[in-house]
Amino acid sequence: MALRSLMSNRTTRTHLAFLALPVVLFVTFYIYPIVSSIHLSLHSWDGFSPAMRWVGLQNYATLLGQPRFINAVFNNITWVVFMLVVPTGIGLLLAALLDRGMRGEGVFRIIFFLPFTIPAVAVAAIWRWMYEPSNGLLTTVLNLIGLGGLSQNWLGDPNIVNFSLMGAVAWWTTGFAFLVFFAGLRNIPTECIEASRIEGATPWQTFWKVSFPLLWPSTIIVLGMSAIDAMRLFDVVWAMTKGGPAYSSEVLATQMYDLAFGRFAMGQASAVAVYLLIIAAVIIMPYIYYMSNRVTESEAE
Amino acid sequence: MKKTGLLGVIACAAMATSGVYAQETYEIWHYYAAGSELAGMEAMIANGNASVEDAQFSGVIIPGNVVELRRQLQTAFLGGQPPAAYQSSMAFELKAFADGGRLHPLTDVWSEIGGDEIFPEGVQRVVKVDGVPYGVPFDLSLINNVFYNTAIFEELGLQQPTDWDSFTQTCTALADAGYQPLGNAGGTFWSLYNFYAPLVSVLGEDGYYQLASGELGFDSPEFSEALDLYRDMMVSCYADNWSGKTWTQTADDVINGDTGMFMMGIWVGAYFEQADFLAGEDFDVFQAPGTVGKSVFQMDVLAVPEGTEAGIAAAEDFIVAAASPEGQAAFAVPKGSLAPNVNVDPSVYGYAGARFAEQFTEASAANAVLPNLFFLLPTAVGTELGVQIERFAIDPSDTVKAELIATLESLRQQALAEDAYISW
Repeated sequence: MALRSLMSNRTTRTHLAFLALPVVLFVTFYIYPIVSSIHLSLHSWDGFSPAMRWVGLQNYATLLGQPRFINAVFNNITWVVFMLVVPTGIGLLLAALLDRGMRGEGVFRIIFFLPFTIPAVAVAAIWRWMYEPSNGLLTTVLNLIGLGGLSQNWLGDPNIVNFSLMGAVAWWTTGFAFLVFFAGLRNIPTECIEASRIEGATPWQTFWKVSFPLLWPSTIIVLGMSAIDAMRLFDVVWAMTKGGPAYSSEVLATQMYDLAFGRFAMGQASAVAVYLLIIAAVIIMPYIYYMSNRVTESEAE
Repeated sequence: MKKTGLLGVIACAAMATSGVYAQETYEIWHYYAAGSELAGMEAMIANGNASVEDAQFSGVIIPGNVVELRRQLQTAFLGGQPPAAYQSSMAFELKAFADGGRLHPLTDVWSEIGGDEIFPEGVQRVVKVDGVPYGVPFDLSLINNVFYNTAIFEELGLQQPTDWDSFTQTCTALADAGYQPLGNAGGTFWSLYNFYAPLVSVLGEDGYYQLASGELGFDSPEFSEALDLYRDMMVSCYADNWSGKTWTQTADDVINGDTGMFMMGIWVGAYFEQADFLAGEDFDVFQAPGTVGKSVFQMDVLAVPEGTEAGIAAAEDFIVAAASPEGQAAFAVPKGSLAPNVNVDPSVYGYAGARFAEQFTEASAANAVLPNLFFLLPTAVGTELGVQIERFAIDPSDTVKAELIATLESLRQQALAEDAYISW
């Protein structure tokens, strides 16, 4: 009865009609795959046999008992911390430097953002060459400036490989953070900056006390995107090391791929996917919730 | 009305005659994306197009390796759109898809090409699952040869090593002269392929097959001895920072004269030749100690997914062309690999190819042909073996050795419990 009266309202019908397509797309391409993955994670299946075998929560229990899985979880969390701090911090620094109105600003803007436009596989190819341990660009430059002792087996040492990958990813993704922060800085009303200067604030104080607080919409975007990118990290790691040597640089997404297509363990790979969803939700959802509250408060003000 | 009728007649005539001229194009999926590998694949497909009258074939590159191809295949199977034929590895790679009901048995075409006559026995056993052929070989590469820079050997007055003692002496001489003795590369396969030499030294052919069938444990004294031999003879000889290099980067080190030796599949010979680093002049080869007179090989086959009758018929016609001496040579010569068909005239090969063909013939006659263990083992065990051997090569400590043995033995027991092993 209530539904009928609701549907009799022409405006409501129009709204529902507009909503129908996105809802169908959301359910088809987001909700259904998640449900399907959960269903698959409760089975043993090689990915192509007609029949699946029900195993309940065995895939989840098996993973929890594997040091390999725990290592991948730890690596993912490390990547989250790294992505929230390094590319974001460097991007903010570059944006602040360029915002001071230096000469050649347009050129620098392109230079800083350019790496972000390169596909992941190309980034991996470039950095594999850079990181060649004997004759690569990095080792050669270190030798030339007398710091050859700092050269490392960049991608072949299990203790070093993650830092090397992070270096490549910092180069690749800093441009995004830079661009968002730069746009944010340019949108700050000049009256605020001028007022602070008249009041005698140093450039350092002006930035931290005036500009940075007003940058929070940009910060929300950059931090949110960085955290999500860190949790779903796959392409650069797979293209550069395939998670090696000996699982040392493996993250959950590369482990999932290896289990599904390298070992025909589709059920276990789906369990990794579900774990990834849960971990990402635990890490990222509180942030999203907090920030959406901030937005609501801001709009209320 | 008349106009309409006339148009209808024209349309019907056009449809009726179109079949005479139009040829269906069928896809051959592979992961040979560049260089000599792509040249070989394109030559084989061109040979198929020239030989098969009522079908055309086009190669579709799935970038990456066997893992990426599996991903694409699984998706294609789920969507009901598999290729007419695809590049597959041997043994368990075929068994997994055959057990899943996804592969078409090639019994008829195998009989037509005389598979039991044209392929050596060691090759045949890894393309048949329960006696039924599911793949036809087209690309065979030996993986037990050591390539070396002849200029460095001449400079130091070194001879080709023939056993582990002389191999160790060669390593020492190279290191003392400031060269990196033995190149290797990071990844699941390369250290494992090196490990086969000490493994065969200790186990012999029978033990190798016992390990492959699950009869011999990873916790056996023999396997432990093989690990020790690998550590003492090869790992100690490896170049600095080898694990951070790709195989092509290590090949460049040999070309540039930084590294003396490199144990790698014979495809590296084609890579050398492409860089004008010539076989018999700039580089030469010898069989790794423990494998002299034997051949450890990696092989690719053409497999045909279950599909439409027309698609299967076209794929089988393509396979007939690819299995012929002309088809096999068309692939092998540009690729720098061996043709599995014994009827291919050895004169098609260059210096290196002729050496490899001679080795393979000798090994076949002695029944000492050993397929790549990686694909003889159940997929999970083979893959983990590759990972663990690389880990051991990076850190050859007793702790890592013990963990390696425990991990692999646990997987073996699991595979035995699931009845996953088979005897090839």
